Amino acid sequence: MKRSTRRRLTRGALYAVFILAVVVIVSLADWGAIRSNFFDVDVAIQAFPEILTVAAKNTVLYTAIAFVGGLLLGLILALMKLSPVLPYRWAATAYIELFRGLPALLVIFGFAFAVPIAFGWRPPGGSAGAGLIALIIVSSAYIAETIRAGIEAVPPGQVEAARSLGMHPSWTMISVVLPQAFRIITPPLTNELVILIKDTSLLFIAGMALGDRELTTFARDMVSSSANATPLVLAALLYLIITLPLTQLVAKLERHNKRGR
Amino acid sequence: MFAKRSTVPKTLAIAAIGALALSACGGSDEPAAEESGLGLVAEGALTVCSDIPFAPFEYEEDGEYVGFDMDLMRAIATGMDLELEVVDVGFDGLASGAVLAAGQCDIGASAITITEERSENLAFTEPYYDSLQSLLVPVDSDVASIDDLAGESVGVQAGTTGETYTRENVPEDTEVVAFPSDAELYSALQAGNVAAILQDLPVNLVHTEDGTYTIAAEFETDEQYGFATTKDGSEDLLAAVNEQLAELRDNGEYDEIYNTYFSE
Repeated sequence: MKRSTRRRLTRGALYAVFILAVVVIVSLADWGAIRSNFFDVDVAIQAFPEILTVAAKNTVLYTAIAFVGGLLLGLILALMKLSPVLPYRWAATAYIELFRGLPALLVIFGFAFAVPIAFGWRPPGGSAGAGLIALIIVSSAYIAETIRAGIEAVPPGQVEAARSLGMHPSWTMISVVLPQAFRIITPPLTNELVILIKDTSLLFIAGMALGDRELTTFARDMVSSSANATPLVLAALLYLIITLPLTQLVAKLERHNKRGR
Repeated sequence: MFAKRSTVPKTLAIAAIGALALSACGGSDEPAAEESGLGLVAEGALTVCSDIPFAPFEYEEDGEYVGFDMDLMRAIATGMDLELEVVDVGFDGLASGAVLAAGQCDIGASAITITEERSENLAFTEPYYDSLQSLLVPVDSDVASIDDLAGESVGVQAGTTGETYTRENVPEDTEVVAFPSDAELYSALQAGNVAAILQDLPVNLVHTEDGTYTIAAEFETDEQYGFATTKDGSEDLLAAVNEQLAELRDNGEYDEIYNTYFSE
């Protein structure tokens, strides 16, 4: 037998095994039970349009707030960590280690419940506000490290060139280093954004008013009242509808950036 | 993952063989319940799903699950000559019927209120508990009735009948804030995030014990708890559990368990 024939046969056999496996799994599943438990059309119809106008909207809004807040705070932290002034460096390091090491759920719990008990101060915006502050704090710890890595990845020659032209250090950072750094860290930042979208589902622990609910909380409430798991499937689909185009967009941006270089 | 092109078919083959092996295992795992004829997920045991903790209905004490639901279930299982097995699950999975449909347990016992919507997807036993809703407030609070909540915020458990009752009965400018469970509710009240908690009376009663909080009002909502199981193929199990429930009420054991948890 020729080698190429043998290879083709082997590959054919592998495909056959794969298809067989899929067929076996599909035929073994109890599709009726799955459909009535997870794909109930009536329950799905009931979830619309609120799942879009309230839940999905809030998920996007919370993510945007937490990301922008995290980005600003993360940038400050990254610069602090690179600062020649030691106390700033220590403070930034301690902050990053602390909030990167704690589960987001616990930080949210802390801001919603422990802070008011301890200081008699309640974060603005009620429970959702307290949860969002916690999310900003957690995401900024991760983003700070990403930004720092990006800044350090910019070739030192760039800074030297700018400085030799008489550019002020701050202006060098803003106009030369940071734009290049952000270009480098676009992929990990996207990762951070996608993780943040999912982390908004943890806000429920802080307590939610009806109009404040994001996708997961909304779906869980509905599961309990409708005695059917379809809302969870809907929520899952909406998360994908939000995240997939986003990652595509960033991939496109990245290709564009590469060409620009 | 950046699998090299040539390794992809190999990976697929391994996955396929794995899947075949798994499905082969699944085949031999028939429900082994011919003996009792009840279609139990584990022979010789009544497997109960519950969202724990929810004192005084289900909570852990000295390494054992106790509480009104748990003690009642234990008595029912004993009456059926079965061991009691308890699986701690989330209330979402339980109320949606997913854990029951997935065969994780035979029956759900988790202070589940019987509602019309739930009855469409779940089969309930005879009611075993009449639930009152109640309003828990700090002892120095001015809130004495549900109408006093105007302009205040009140905490409820998300997805519960207490939440529904609250939303239908509070003044228009009351903020209703839903929390996942009593743990967060109580924390929120302590933190001052909410002015009051509206939920099942027995759960609120536990929080009055140290004298900081008090029950401002009780509400009759005609709510009853039932044990829940799957809609299809559970007729025999339902009948058997109902029979035990009636037996426990007759022989006084129900009252004994009731008084353990609800005598004031």
